[in-house]
Amino acid sequence: MSFQGPEEYDYLFKIVLIGDSGVGKSNLLSRFTRNEFNLESKSTIGVEFATRSIVVEGKKLKAQIWDTAGQERFRAITSAYYRGAVGAMLVYDIAKHATFENIDRWLKELRDHADDNIVVLLVGNKTDLRHLRAVMSEDAAEYADRNNLIFIETSALDSTNVEHAFQQCLNEVYKRVADRHFSNVNIGQTTALPTTNLQSTILEKKFCCNS
Amino acid sequence: MCWSGIPHVCRNVAWKILSRYLPLMADRREMMLKKKRQEYFNLVDQYYETRKQAIHADTYHQIHIDIPRMSPLIPLFQQELVQEIFERILYIWAIRHPASGYVQGINDLVTPFFVVFITEYIPLDIRTYKVNSLPESAIQNLEADSFWCFSKLLDGIQDNYTFAQPGIQKQVNTLKDLMMRINSELHQHLTSNHVEYLQFAFRWMNNLLMREMSLMCVIRLWDTYLCESEGFASFHLYVCAALLNKFSSELLQEKDFQGLMLFLKNLPTQHWNDDDVRFLLADAYRLKFAFADAPSHLKE
Repeated sequence: MSFQGPEEYDYLFKIVLIGDSGVGKSNLLSRFTRNEFNLESKSTIGVEFATRSIVVEGKKLKAQIWDTAGQERFRAITSAYYRGAVGAMLVYDIAKHATFENIDRWLKELRDHADDNIVVLLVGNKTDLRHLRAVMSEDAAEYADRNNLIFIETSALDSTNVEHAFQQCLNEVYKRVADRHFSNVNIGQTTALPTTNLQSTILEKKFCCNS
Repeated sequence: MCWSGIPHVCRNVAWKILSRYLPLMADRREMMLKKKRQEYFNLVDQYYETRKQAIHADTYHQIHIDIPRMSPLIPLFQQELVQEIFERILYIWAIRHPASGYVQGINDLVTPFFVVFITEYIPLDIRTYKVNSLPESAIQNLEADSFWCFSKLLDGIQDNYTFAQPGIQKQVNTLKDLMMRINSELHQHLTSNHVEYLQFAFRWMNNLLMREMSLMCVIRLWDTYLCESEGFASFHLYVCAALLNKFSSELLQEKDFQGLMLFLKNLPTQHWNDDDVRFLLADAYRLKFAFADAPSHLKE
């Protein structure tokens, strides 16, 4: 499981996956980081963690992705992970309307705990369940528009748009970083960022990691 | 005697006694079982219908979507009848404990009891056994016994599951203090790489290591927990510390946050056997012996 050997990257971005229980957050993560999907994956307890690097405009971006448990009771634990996040994927299940209705609550969570300039994607997952669709794309797109979110529909099961969703998130984060949008950026730091008491948001690193 | 592992044939009765469910006096047992089993089904009659009420819809929904996702690789748990049993047990428990309610992870905690108690009725390999071929009364007894022993376990760790999960926060802090004392090199390594104990140990506490080991290993672990006073609340910490200690050299080789976190979140313990658990417990006992009674032990 561990990544051995020296690894270089230019930026380390912390991304969080949030949304109701059972919408497919963990499978989006495993599809993106390991190209795996598990129909019977267990519920997430607290938070899970994975990384993957992609290249944008010649820069290597390492995404450090935190997949949070959807149940309300874990909120006190999971909200700590929003700090320092530069991107968030707010996930709902297109076949379960209630999970879309709860997006408001999740958005509020983000507004309360995350950086104001965090890039937020609204992700309608499980498009493979087209015969069970309960949330119309137009409604979600309109909601996203109103709230300044990037909207995308995915299927972690058949891979549709998963890569694209994360790419888009990282692209947008990179754009905002290049434009110096983040208020509490700590460019040039060489420490890993994810502790709850660190304010560092984005870490620019060269030739580091395991070296 | 049970501390060092309970033989398969005795485990069913031993666990019920150690859980303080079954009386020690053999002649009182039957009457007690009859009473408790009846009491459980009275609770089911009284409360189970309430799952359809709007106020309890969230609780029931969460249980309902979690059950099919637990132990997905063991066919026993994919049987409809078994899933219904688990739903009832968890729902009745949740509704009677409103301060915590149902919290993801406690569903895992029913499984060891269920698997151990089913051996009263069927032979060794239970993984693919069709539970609906058991007589109705056996299924009911199994359900009621699992409920009561699971309840006894949770009674001892209820603040792990109340708002903000203070029990877990405290346990994680205690684990950190303990590690500072027993393996300061590893502790330093973790903290200097900004790894926080809550990030990896939360699940260890919330699910009592059930996500880190096979069900059979967990059952062996619980033989000992059930024998220790406060086994699930206190001795468990020493087991977690022993676990960290065990992988000390591997962890020290990881040179950054991501490497450490990925290792800690995917411990190579999935294929452990009884012997591995035995050694872990022995280490934990040694730690407890050395540190629990020391003067500055676990500052409150």
